[in-house]
Amino acid sequence: MPTDIDLNGIVIIVGNYGSGKTEVAINLAVAQRTARHRVRVADLDLVNPYFRTREARRSLETLGIEMILPPEGWLQADLPILMPQVAGLIRDPGDLALLDVGGDHVGARVLSALAEAFDAANRAIQMLQVVNPFRPNTDTVAACLDMRAAIEAASRQTVTGWIGNAHMMDETLPDHIGQGYALMRDLADASGLPLVCMTAAEALLPQIAHLAMDCPVLTIRRQLVPPWKKPEPLHPVV
Amino acid sequence: MPKVLMKGNEAIAEAAIRAGCLNYFAYPITPQSEVAEYLCWRMPEVNGVFLQGESEVAVAYMIFGAAGAGVRVFTTSSSPGISLMSEGISYLCGAELPAVFVNIMRGGPGLGGILPSQADYLQATKGIGHGDCRLLVMAPASVQEAAEMVMQAFPLAEKYRNPVMILGDGLIGQMMEPVEFPDHLRSEPSNKDSWASNGMDHRKSKTRNLVRSLYLNATLLNDHNMDLRAKYERMKAEEVRYEDYNTDGDYQALIVSYGTMSRVCKTAVNTLKEQGIEVGLIRPQTLFPFPEAAIRQAARKESCRAVLSVEMSMGQMVEDVERSVRGARPVQWYGKCGGEVPTPEEIIEVVTATLASDDSRR
Repeated sequence: MPTDIDLNGIVIIVGNYGSGKTEVAINLAVAQRTARHRVRVADLDLVNPYFRTREARRSLETLGIEMILPPEGWLQADLPILMPQVAGLIRDPGDLALLDVGGDHVGARVLSALAEAFDAANRAIQMLQVVNPFRPNTDTVAACLDMRAAIEAASRQTVTGWIGNAHMMDETLPDHIGQGYALMRDLADASGLPLVCMTAAEALLPQIAHLAMDCPVLTIRRQLVPPWKKPEPLHPVV
Repeated sequence: MPKVLMKGNEAIAEAAIRAGCLNYFAYPITPQSEVAEYLCWRMPEVNGVFLQGESEVAVAYMIFGAAGAGVRVFTTSSSPGISLMSEGISYLCGAELPAVFVNIMRGGPGLGGILPSQADYLQATKGIGHGDCRLLVMAPASVQEAAEMVMQAFPLAEKYRNPVMILGDGLIGQMMEPVEFPDHLRSEPSNKDSWASNGMDHRKSKTRNLVRSLYLNATLLNDHNMDLRAKYERMKAEEVRYEDYNTDGDYQALIVSYGTMSRVCKTAVNTLKEQGIEVGLIRPQTLFPFPEAAIRQAARKESCRAVLSVEMSMGQMVEDVERSVRGARPVQWYGKCGGEVPTPEEIIEVVTATLASDDSRR
C-alpha cells in the first residue's frame, strides 16, 4: 500500500449529501496534524442540521487543531452562518486549511460566495470529492461525475481528486471497501483525476490488506456518533 | 434490492414510494426537510406528485382532499408544523379518511430548537386535534424500522380509515444507517370504494360516498362518535406492538423507553448487566395503542422493584406508564428535552439511585 497522504495549503472537502465529508475532514485533520504542521478546519456546512464538524470541536481542539466555527451560542441556530474569518483563512491558509463543506451542489454553493478570497489565495487550492458508493445516487461512475459537475458549477471551483469512503456504518465488510475501490478506480480513470485515498475503520485495516489497494488508506476513527455510542479515541499528535 | 446507507428522512421518503404512495404535500422544516428534498427528484421518477403548500394548514387540507379522492397520501413535518396541521387532522378523523403523518420532533415549546426531542408524545397520543379523535401512533427506533413503519402505516390507515402518525425524534430523521427495502408492495388502497369520493362510475359499488365531518343531528353525531370510539378500541385490541429486552430472567428494575432514547437505555442496560445489575426494558413500538398489559405484567414480576420511564420530554409517557402499572410498583420519570439527550451514564446513575432508595425496597 502506498504511503502517506500529503496535503498542504487549501483543501476543500465536497461530496454528495451523506457521503461522509465531515468524518473524512476530521480524520484528515488529525492525520495531517503534527507538532510542526499547523492544521485549521472551517465548518462550512450551512445545510445540515446535525452531525457536523462542530460536534467534534472539543476533541479536535485538544489535539491543537484550530476550528473556525460560528460563535458558541449560534452553533445550533437553523441559519446559514458564514464566519468572516473563513475568507481570511483562504487568503492565508498557512500549512493546511481544511474546508468542510455541506452536501451536494446546494451545500457547495457557499464556496462561490468566497470566490474573491479564493482568487486572492497565496496557495494552491485542492478540492476533493468524497464518494460513498453505498449512498443513493453515487453508485455509478456516471452519477459521481454528474455530482462533480453540479458541485463545480455551484462552487465555481474545480474538483482535483477523489476520496473513496466506502462504508455501511457498523455493518461495513471488507467486501464493501473492495467494491468501493473498484468503482473509485474506474472513476479516477474516467475523470483523469487522482484517487487521493480510500478510507477504512481502524478495526477493518487488517482485513483489507489483501485488496492491495494502490492508494493510501485514511484510518477513520468515528467521531460523529449517536448518543448511545462513544466516539473512538483520536490518536495524540506526534 | 441490496442494502443502502440512508438518512432516516430519506428512508421515510423512499418507503412511502415503495408502499405505493405517490402523493406528497409538505412544507419544509428542520429536522425533516430531507424528506421533501428527496421527494423533489424522486416523485417525478415514479410519476408521483410533490406539491409544497403555502403553509402546514394548507398541506393538511391537501391531504384531506387527496385522501377523500381515494389515493395514498402522506406528509412529513416537525413539531410546530404538526401543531398547525392539527385542525385538518381532526377533520380527517371526523371524515374517516386514511392518511399518514410523520412528525420528526424537535425541541419546543414554540419555535424551540432544531435538536431531537420527544416532547410531542401527549399531543400525538391524546391531543392531536379537537373533538374525540385519536391517531394510531408508531414510534421507530432505527432507520430500518422507520422505513418499515411507513410501509405498514398506509394499510393500517386504510384498515381503520383513520390517520396514522409516525412519531420520530430528530435523530431518527438525521442519522444514517443501512436500510433495505422490499422490491414491490401493494400500490393502492384495497377498500377505497367504501370512502373514496371519486365519481360513482369508477366504483364497483354504486353507493354515494360523502366526505364530511359535519353532523347537524345530535343523535347521528353521538352515533358517529360511538363508532369512532369502537374503532379506537379495536386498535387497542389488535395493533399493540412493543419490543422487550432483557426481560426473560429476573430483573430489579424495568425501564420503559421508546424511539432512539430506548437505544441509549439499551446501552445502559448492557453496562448495568456487566456490573451485576439486571434491568429489563420495554420499548413501545406503538404509543397509541400503548402496550399497557405488557408493561403491567413486566412491572409485576416478583424481582422488579421499580419502574422508570426514560424520555426526551419533561414527563409525558410516564403518565401512560403509571396508568399501566396501576400502583403495583413505584414509577419514576427521567428525561431531558430540547437538544440534550440523556446519556447511558446518567441512566445508570438514576437506576442505581432508584434501587438504593427506600421507595423501591420491599
